[in-house]
Amino acid sequence: MRVLAKKTPARREAPDGGAGDRRDALGVSGLSLTLGTGVPLLADVTVRVGRGETVGLVGESGSGKSLTARTALGMLPRGARATGEVTVADVDVLAAGRRRLRELRRTRASMIFQDPRASINPVRRIGDYLTEGLRARGVPARAVAGRALELLDQVGIRDPGGALRCFPHEFSGGMLQRVVIAGALSTEPELLLADEPTTALDVTTQAEVIALLKDMQRAHGTGMLFVTHDLDLAAAICDRVYVMYAGRIVEESTGSGLFGAPAHPYTRALLEASPSVHGDRVAIRAIAGRPRSLADSPTGCSFRDRCPLAGDDCAETVPAHRPHGQSLAACLRPGQVTP
Amino acid sequence: MKPTQRRRTFAGWIGRRALGGVLTVLIASILIYGALRLVPGDPVLAVTGGRRLTPEQIEALRHRYGLDRGFAQGYLAWIGDALRLDLGTSLNYQTGVTSLIADRLGVSGLLILYSALLAIVSGSAVALVSAVKGGPVNRVAGIAAAVTTATPTFVSAIGLLALFSVGLGWFPATGAGTGLADRLWHLTLPAVAMALVAFGVLARVGNAAFTEELRREHVEVARSRGVGGAAVIGRHVVRNALAPMLTIVGLLFASLFVGTAVVETAFGLDGVGSLLVGSVSRRDFPVVQGIALIAVLLFVVINTLVDLAMPFIDPRVTVGGPSR
Repeated sequence: MRVLAKKTPARREAPDGGAGDRRDALGVSGLSLTLGTGVPLLADVTVRVGRGETVGLVGESGSGKSLTARTALGMLPRGARATGEVTVADVDVLAAGRRRLRELRRTRASMIFQDPRASINPVRRIGDYLTEGLRARGVPARAVAGRALELLDQVGIRDPGGALRCFPHEFSGGMLQRVVIAGALSTEPELLLADEPTTALDVTTQAEVIALLKDMQRAHGTGMLFVTHDLDLAAAICDRVYVMYAGRIVEESTGSGLFGAPAHPYTRALLEASPSVHGDRVAIRAIAGRPRSLADSPTGCSFRDRCPLAGDDCAETVPAHRPHGQSLAACLRPGQVTP
Repeated sequence: MKPTQRRRTFAGWIGRRALGGVLTVLIASILIYGALRLVPGDPVLAVTGGRRLTPEQIEALRHRYGLDRGFAQGYLAWIGDALRLDLGTSLNYQTGVTSLIADRLGVSGLLILYSALLAIVSGSAVALVSAVKGGPVNRVAGIAAAVTTATPTFVSAIGLLALFSVGLGWFPATGAGTGLADRLWHLTLPAVAMALVAFGVLARVGNAAFTEELRREHVEVARSRGVGGAAVIGRHVVRNALAPMLTIVGLLFASLFVGTAVVETAFGLDGVGSLLVGSVSRRDFPVVQGIALIAVLLFVVINTLVDLAMPFIDPRVTVGGPSR
């Protein structure tokens, strides 16, 4: 542990000197994940998050978006085998040992989970939660306490001193998510993995938390992978968006391009399945069939059994990503969907 | 809630808990006293075991044990004396029950503490290791817990005696020894015999509690922050499982007190447990009543203490009741 702790800063400085700004916060390429029992979970997932960039990862439950985010921290399901490449700020995650992973989690990447009330130990104080990450790094207690007050103030919690001594059940969900965000940013990470950080909150609180998250991200220059099932939200706040279906990335697009010209039939179907407050009242159309997992998806394109455009050729191979407008879509007939 | 207000609610809550405890003991004491009256026929005849006595003698006995008074009067006299630490006179020893019990409390108390310590340490350790390791370790621990829980204490007592006293000769078979070291040596086998059942219960319940806490999201969150394995277990798993564990430990203490009856008899120890067994067979009802009353008292006191500790262990346990 000691040896590693001393070695790491030296290794970090070398690339930072010259090309440091160019390296990505997160680089996932060709990632496949298989359970020990042979059940495939992810196939050929490629996701890139630049420094300071906000990237969305969108899909239905079970599409593998949380799994992808967790893999960035080396948190694989028990007995799972991963192939491909996952790098977080120059750390090869899949090759990293326990200590290296711990070091990565302490210093370079943080994760925010869906339900703040479940994320914080209910029997320990807010202060204990907030400072746990810093203390794990070996920051002295007094410095940690000062930093904690500063962080709570930054995320807009009144009376930070009193808040540190409170228990989680004395806080509202929105307040707790602020605490979680403060805790995630306490270690000044280069990568922030936000796994549906607003799903458990009510709408007005959601907006506040998103605004805070963006502010904090800008202030700290953190790259963020924003996992959500909310397409509108992703399009609104993300520079780029990846759409996942059944363990695969089916479309990569810019945030605005996603709404304007969805290339993949699945993206289009997702957009039509969510109600809109803009324009005419259009009937919400559910996607026929049920979401597939990678293990029970059909050969070729995973979406073809639910796709209105599917033909016999879709069954042959998994479609490669090809450019269409502002997007890269894994579809043989991109952009041909008409409402 | 202001601190002063909170303190007042807390004091009130302690008061209510204590009152509840006193009430429980009172109700139990009525049942204990009433049990004597439920003996078929005349209690005195049951006590004297059918020996021929003159009516005057019987009348004298009835008066001496308060049986000539009504139930309420007799009970009040008995509980009044008990409050002054006078539990009556033993029929068999012709000495005060209080001193009979007090003389034996040293051996029994040490035995209970010793076996509680063994059970708590080994049970929690096995529970934690099996929950963390999972897989085959968990299955072996589960079987061990089931076997030890299901084995009656008198069976394990005989097994331990056969193996470690008669066979290997490592521990004495009878007696309580003199001096602390010698006494602990003498009490080891009985303590182990008594601890086995408690160990099984703790290993089983603890395993469930630890497993549940291990699955909690905040455990995963702590890991995602690079907190070391031991720190995660200590701060997020053990700390959170303390409340259910403490509840079980509280219940086990009472069962250990009762367990002394079997173990002390098996290992020839002169303690409260063997006094109870002897007194039951000799129909020495003042002694039986006294010991039963103490067992209830012990049970209520320990469980009230456990309840009082809960708000400090789990801050979500509300102190003030619905007003919060």
